[in-house]
Amino acid sequence: MSDRMLTMAEAVREAMSIAFDERPEVFLLGEDVGIYGGAFGVSGDMYHRYGAERVLDTPIAELGIVGAAVGAALSGMRPIVEIQFSDFTAQAMDQIANQAAKIHFMLGGALHVPMVLRTPQGSGTGAAAQHSQNLEPWFASVPGLKVVVPSNPADAKGLLLAAIDDPNPVIFLEHKLLYKIPGRDPVLEGSTRIPLGVSKVVREGKDLTIVATGIMVNKSWEVCEKLAAEGISITLIDPRTISPLDMNPVFESVEKTGRLMVVQEGPAQAGFINEVIAQLAGSSSFGSLIAPIKRLAGMNIPIPYAPQLEKAAVPQFDDIEAAAREIVKNWR
Amino acid sequence: MGHPLSSPEHASHALLYMWRIRKFEEAVEDLFGRGMMHGTMHLSIGQEASPTGMCMAMTLQDQITSTHRGHGHCIAKGADLTRMIAELLGKKIGYCGGRGGSMHIADVETGNLGANGVVGGGIPIAAGAALASKMMKRGTVAVSFFGDGAMNEGAFHEAANLAAIWKLPMILFCENNKYGMSSSTEKAFAIDNLADRGKGYGIPAVNVDGNDVVAVYEVAQVAVDRAKAGDGPTLIIAETYRWKGHSRSDKNLYRTKEEIEEWRTKDPIPKFIARVVEERILTQEQCDVIQNEAIEAIKAAVNEAVKAESAEPSGLLDAVFKAVSA
Amino acid sequence: MSMTMETGELINFHVAVGDHVKNGDVLFEVMTDKIDMEVEAPADGVIEALVANPGDVVEIGKPVLIMLTETEVMAFDFGTDNEPVAAVEVVAAPVVAPVVPVVVAAPVILNETVKAVPKARVEAANRGIDLRTVRATGPDRTIMMEDVNGAQLDPAIAKRQAANKALIAKGIEMTRGVAQASFTRSVKANFDHATFIAAWAKVLRNRPDLAVHQHVGVALIIESKYGSALPVFRDPDQANLAELTILVASITEAAKSGKVPVAMLSGATTTVFDLTSYSMSSATPLLFPNQVTSVTIGYESATTKIVSLTIDLNFCDFYDGALLLDALVASL
Repeated sequence: MSDRMLTMAEAVREAMSIAFDERPEVFLLGEDVGIYGGAFGVSGDMYHRYGAERVLDTPIAELGIVGAAVGAALSGMRPIVEIQFSDFTAQAMDQIANQAAKIHFMLGGALHVPMVLRTPQGSGTGAAAQHSQNLEPWFASVPGLKVVVPSNPADAKGLLLAAIDDPNPVIFLEHKLLYKIPGRDPVLEGSTRIPLGVSKVVREGKDLTIVATGIMVNKSWEVCEKLAAEGISITLIDPRTISPLDMNPVFESVEKTGRLMVVQEGPAQAGFINEVIAQLAGSSSFGSLIAPIKRLAGMNIPIPYAPQLEKAAVPQFDDIEAAAREIVKNWR
Repeated sequence: MGHPLSSPEHASHALLYMWRIRKFEEAVEDLFGRGMMHGTMHLSIGQEASPTGMCMAMTLQDQITSTHRGHGHCIAKGADLTRMIAELLGKKIGYCGGRGGSMHIADVETGNLGANGVVGGGIPIAAGAALASKMMKRGTVAVSFFGDGAMNEGAFHEAANLAAIWKLPMILFCENNKYGMSSSTEKAFAIDNLADRGKGYGIPAVNVDGNDVVAVYEVAQVAVDRAKAGDGPTLIIAETYRWKGHSRSDKNLYRTKEEIEEWRTKDPIPKFIARVVEERILTQEQCDVIQNEAIEAIKAAVNEAVKAESAEPSGLLDAVFKAVSA
Repeated sequence: MSMTMETGELINFHVAVGDHVKNGDVLFEVMTDKIDMEVEAPADGVIEALVANPGDVVEIGKPVLIMLTETEVMAFDFGTDNEPVAAVEVVAAPVVAPVVPVVVAAPVILNETVKAVPKARVEAANRGIDLRTVRATGPDRTIMMEDVNGAQLDPAIAKRQAANKALIAKGIEMTRGVAQASFTRSVKANFDHATFIAAWAKVLRNRPDLAVHQHVGVALIIESKYGSALPVFRDPDQANLAELTILVASITEAAKSGKVPVAMLSGATTTVFDLTSYSMSSATPLLFPNQVTSVTIGYESATTKIVSLTIDLNFCDFYDGALLLDALVASL
């Protein structure tokens, strides 16, 4: 295994370090990000490399620290604020949704908020209901926030660098289960940005289009591999930025395959992925559909604790495989 | 600026700005009553001395965050009157291009990071601005204006604590006008002296008569000096009173006419005029001229703003994000 | 009062004419869309006149009482501007020329209500297939692409199309055995199909000695994705040219959708094939069974066409053939 097969935690740390080196106004604040190295080990040794001046340990005060990040961003700094679990962004919602998201618009462009809020989301670690949510729709539904969901370390690095460059507030949702494992691709050296708002066609096929977010991209990829061996070829699209959402590759692909499946971890009801369906259904590509649109998403329940229950609550490999097979076989 | 009594120029500045705030708010009340302004207005008539005194201890680079009752803070910090009225009238040249309204006026040139429609919303933001000032070694101070009602918000608590532990160059300026909308401080607090809260955070706190612009200036300057010396935040509790209801839908059912009457006699403006005339810093005639100056300035601003072009819906989508430079 | 309010009801006065009032004293109460509002005196003064009566509905901005004051009061009076209402032009919708109806045999209806995937609907619409006649084999009795692709046109038309295919095949076969000759001429002229077939029919009518039938029926070969259609225009030289032009256009349109009326699929005495749309200059025209002449139109340049004629030497000789072509070219 090459030494560029970094885990997502390593890739995020590398991106933050590059940003720190490029710009003195970039700094990190959050609970346990300093001496402890971050609850999930993401900031790691940054405290020792950059000092307490730039890696700030904060008390447990999400509203206060996100607000401070907003104020610092208004005053010429580029803060990266880490909220320990995405579930706790609830505590900070006024500063995220009522302040950061709206300042540029409300103030007629006089001020802007170049802030990145990074936070781990998702289920699978047995952390139960209040520490396992996927809250993509909370943020995607607020105009004024950009929302990024990297599915692999290589993308995470390039996307985070672009997010830090961005003069607007960016919510960067990392999946807990991806922190400690490498992705399929090596992480590039250097500081190349991956632009926000550009979807990625991960693989091309002609029988089915799958649009998936976050960890579901990886599960879907496994399914594509398995079904390719049986002659079912699938296009897999990873939006990477869910807001603003780049639908162009989706329209193009559906016009070729005629079949669309969307996969997300979060609960189905009012979930983010419904946006993909809504846009497709209202577009001229709708007339290319030869099958109903299939949605795979989490159950409309809080995430349960026991492992078998936790697994059952969100789509798994088997669910994705069965759905893909069914739609290709039954709709000709 | 400097001490209001230190020279005729300083005294004139203090008086002019208090009159500008007073007349501005009266004009807003009139225009609103005529149906020319959308939404609602939160007037600060009677509270003019607090922002005026505080801002005279600040420079242009020092920053403020403000509240929903923020016209006075904006004006005291030096905002353009025409652009303020234009914003309230939904005009293109308004501070926010008609997109923000009364509660969201910001003025970057005068260090105003914005009024806020969320109670307590600006307090952590001011802490952040102070943090940036400290990290970038700018030597500026950030003042958060808020009311007694905000002191019970979690945002106040979290921001005050951060300011204290990080010794931020920040001033927490509470305009205690005894009511958070309809909740009196007697009912909303279990303590009698709001300044006692400072102890809980390790922040020095001081009470001041918010209707005495000289007294306000004096405690403000001490707090600014402390902050700039790196000694951290100060909590200022300025006792004052608003003559008008919370907003335009307020029928004042929660307070008595007698109370309102009593506070009107403590009007900060005649109080200051009496003092400067007695101490022979300004003559009564000079004070009258200053009042007129303020009236004319407001009239000119209103007349100009009314004629300005209305804001249009085209371009709204592009206004959400700042463009990413290539 | 909110901006949406245009009037309020005056409830009562708290003062009378001649009263001295102080800044802040309540003057009168107005009922608004939210609550009863007390309107306060903006300055110290004396009540001069009451302009409205309790119970009156007053317009926002119009005076309710007049008071005299020595204080300069912040009061503004802006007259209402009456902006002229822009005249709205009503434009009559353009009248669409009616399409000449094409008669097709009535289809067999299988279902009254139809469920179909979007692309199937598009395809059926393009091909003139009534979805109610299509058998649905997809899940939940939904019509899939497979069902529409296998769907038959009106059986009579499908039969005729098959017959035409066979005819052409036979023609090719027969041509090998028939003694024939072909002639080619360039024509510097522009003509549409109607003009051409009328001219050709006239030339043929002038040579009854070369005719096999009593009438002249010109078959015009029209290619479409449904195969070749050979609608026959009877005695086109005797028709009104304007009417013939409309008929040729509408039948060409119909043929391209696979919908030629059955009645027009027989009675050909000669065949015309226009190659110019393929940018071909010439091809040796095929003789069809029971026909002694066949013509192609080829493309030489933007201004020049090539007309080719094949004759059955059993019925006319070289000399006649040359004369026929000369006459045709001369009349164009």
